[in-house]
Amino acid sequence: MSATASIEGRAFGDHLLLALVILLSIVMIAPVLWVIGLSLKDNTELMADPNSVFHAPYTLKNYINTVGTSSVFIWVRNSIIVSGGLTLGTLILSSLAGYGFARLNFPGRDVLFVIVLFGLAVPEQAVLVARHQIFSMLKFHNTYQGLILPGLSAPFGVFLMTQYFKAIPKELDEAAMLDNASRLRIFWKVLLPLTLPAQATLGIFTFLGAWNDYFWPLISATRKDMFTLTVGMASTQTNFAQSEGIGFLMAQAVFAGAPILIVYLFFQKYIVTAVSGAAVR
Amino acid sequence: MTADIEIRNVSKQFGAMTVLDHLSLSIRAREFIVFLGPSGCGKSTLLRMIAGLEAVDSGEIAINNERIDHLPPGKRGIAMVFQSYALYPHMTVRDNMAFGLANIGVPGKVIEARINEAARILEMPHLLDRKPGQLSGGQRQRVAIGRAIVKEPKAFLFDEPLSNLDAALRTRTRIELAQLHQRLQSTMIFVTHDQVEAMTLADRIVVMNNRKIDQIGTPMEIYERPATKFVAGFVGAPAMNFVDATLDRSGKNATARFADGISVQTEIASSQLTDDNYTFGIRSEDVRIVAAGQGNADGVVDVLERLGERTLIYARLGDGQQIVGSDAGNSRVAVGDRIGLAFDGQKSHLFNETGRAWHAREA
Amino acid sequence: MVDRLATSPTATLAVGVRAPTADIYAPQWRNFIFVAPFLFFFTTLLLFPLLWGMWLSFHKADTFSSGNFVGLGNYARLYHDKVFLQSIWNTFYFALLTVPTLALIGLFLALCLNRRTRTAAVLRTLFFSSSVLSVTIVTLIWRIVFIPNVGLLSTIYGWFGATAPAFISDPSLAMIGIAIATIWWCIGLPMMLFLSALQQIPQDIYEAAALDNANRWQTLRSITLPSIKRTFILVIIIQIVLQFQLFGQAWLMTRGGPNNLTKPIVLYIYDTAFRRWDLGLGAAASEILFILILVAAMAQYLVTRSRGDQA
Repeated sequence: MSATASIEGRAFGDHLLLALVILLSIVMIAPVLWVIGLSLKDNTELMADPNSVFHAPYTLKNYINTVGTSSVFIWVRNSIIVSGGLTLGTLILSSLAGYGFARLNFPGRDVLFVIVLFGLAVPEQAVLVARHQIFSMLKFHNTYQGLILPGLSAPFGVFLMTQYFKAIPKELDEAAMLDNASRLRIFWKVLLPLTLPAQATLGIFTFLGAWNDYFWPLISATRKDMFTLTVGMASTQTNFAQSEGIGFLMAQAVFAGAPILIVYLFFQKYIVTAVSGAAVR
Repeated sequence: MTADIEIRNVSKQFGAMTVLDHLSLSIRAREFIVFLGPSGCGKSTLLRMIAGLEAVDSGEIAINNERIDHLPPGKRGIAMVFQSYALYPHMTVRDNMAFGLANIGVPGKVIEARINEAARILEMPHLLDRKPGQLSGGQRQRVAIGRAIVKEPKAFLFDEPLSNLDAALRTRTRIELAQLHQRLQSTMIFVTHDQVEAMTLADRIVVMNNRKIDQIGTPMEIYERPATKFVAGFVGAPAMNFVDATLDRSGKNATARFADGISVQTEIASSQLTDDNYTFGIRSEDVRIVAAGQGNADGVVDVLERLGERTLIYARLGDGQQIVGSDAGNSRVAVGDRIGLAFDGQKSHLFNETGRAWHAREA
Repeated sequence: MVDRLATSPTATLAVGVRAPTADIYAPQWRNFIFVAPFLFFFTTLLLFPLLWGMWLSFHKADTFSSGNFVGLGNYARLYHDKVFLQSIWNTFYFALLTVPTLALIGLFLALCLNRRTRTAAVLRTLFFSSSVLSVTIVTLIWRIVFIPNVGLLSTIYGWFGATAPAFISDPSLAMIGIAIATIWWCIGLPMMLFLSALQQIPQDIYEAAALDNANRWQTLRSITLPSIKRTFILVIIIQIVLQFQLFGQAWLMTRGGPNNLTKPIVLYIYDTAFRRWDLGLGAAASEILFILILVAAMAQYLVTRSRGDQA
């Protein structure tokens, strides 16, 4: 009797949890579907009846307009250059420094590493004002180096690579030393190939972060032709109501969001690892 | 290629802790030397100092009369096999072996020839294009040895290389290592905490304990005439019996008396001994099982261990002291039996408070 | 040298000038080369601006001149600036809205989706997917949800003949609207952190509990939740640090309005430093934010380091 009751209770609880998860899933998906729906609708029809989203006719006109707006391609190009440059730079600097901190000894190493760790706790906003002023003096605003260089100072990559190098058995270095390999050769031929998973994680994480970054590009790139995609899209958003129409804006959002979501589906494992790692440190 | 190795007065500290305290040791060319000792005795540290992986705090190490302790590891002309093998995971077996040779500019043709020769010796030509991850533990072990062989080093260093293998493979590899030494005629230094490996492989064993060398000698010297109580207890299974004894030094040879009136006539000269209180030591195979009342002492059997060719008898004396004796493989003794124990005076040992040992005069 | 070698090889070993012994782990200056490139950027673009920012906060400065020393003047101005005080309150209010919600929903999702089924894997992917979008896209999506007439919300309300709450323009609802968009955007991370914590609980504890006839609620309360207590605190702190840096959502959805009611500290900094070019005041405000975040980061450090004690 009581056994049956508990099984029924369990089934009821399961259904309740399931319903909640489904509800949350709908909250996650519905806005995106809504946006995709709007992006496929003609603006005048939409203004007349919002419910027209749910039925034909659908049109690709908004996407054609998006692609036809030359600025979007310039912004995409800028984003690729900035994110790619920052990713490459971060991988090189972090690998070298990670190897240095994990494997080599030099005067003041431990103190320096603590200072670098402290850098993890410094929020971007605490350095922004001064950085902006320095870049003004160097005339770096509205240049690619102006958008790339600040990201190279972030300590997370160094922290990640140091941890990763430390996890590789020291005997490998020692065996290579007995094989008469120099420090540089050990780094390049023996250890670096073993850090590929960490390189992938850090690379994707850095690229994604740079691609989505909004604050620094907003204050550094003030010329329209130097906007990144994120800033450029935000700039068209500002004149929301009187703009080319909601469908057009939504097509832009889909156009900008879809590639990132596709990349996410492919590299999910690395992205989740990196984001969680960056958060916990 | 082979070489003698000279270690002079070497010390090592880690922070405030002394790991090695003024050690000296001469290793002859073509010798198979085993560093034997419990973990933490400094044997691996000493090996790594020869390899150049640990700095020498004081003292000197020379190979063929040339000091090497100021040279980096790669310039010492030695090869090392690590406990974890330390194969480069992303390189094929061939590349693992070629790496060290390429680093010193050996021509490709020569590298190729040496790799093939090593692969032939170790019976692994079919493994050359695999990566370490695709190999079994035993195969990785061979690759690690192969990587050492191709360098044609002045000396081979082995850091507990068998400890990651299962029991059967360990025995086989031990024999192969002995054959390899025969074949290469190279100086080899082998670190282990396993006394069977030490006894079976070594020309000479260096027994280390507590920052020092306790004894250097051939396996049988170590076994039969251990220099200290530590060596006596560490080498041999089951461990040597130790009993507190007072000595009667009135005769030519000393007589050891135990707590409840048991006495054993040793063949150790009284004249060498200065004190009255010693520890009496005897190995289990030197304690014969006889009928009660017939031996030096009587005891009650606690436990039997049948090993096949012999039976170990754990007997308890009147005062509670346990003694391990040895009987034939088909011994009829049963647990609870009252038996006699006959001690072989010729094979008795005495140890003083500092652990120093005295043995019977050599026959 | 040659003579001595010839006469007595051992003597050279003992007497000769002792060559430095090789120590592969000894500190060496040339090893510094590996960390130097990063440290160059770290010093010039992080450490130096950090100190420069502190220095600026004591000065009256604009873009090209760092003018006069004003001591604590900028901080005094902040103290009397109603908008700044409002922005601090807004930031705390926003954190209060988002942080506990994120932690609880994240925990709930992690508990439900911590299983090896395909559906669970798909749902995990779904709930994390919004995290990879940029703030621009997220705000675009949520403005179109909240917008009157054509918005998703007003359409749904329309089906029932009701009027949707004005999440962007209503002063009492604007921050809640921003919080909803933020929770939608950020829910992936807490869920993933909880999931990885749940996966670290040894399975045999659950088997033991099952043998002890514990029901699911008892198992959850006496095994699962205590095991992830540390992660819960960690998630809270991480989210505080993240949500204190609210900027893009507020700037793009409401511009900080209505009436500065959704203006967080970072937006205040942006306004002050980069739209009114009062760099000294902006720097002072960012120092305040820095201190707030540093406190949270220190708390996180302490929680992370205490891992060993609890295990």
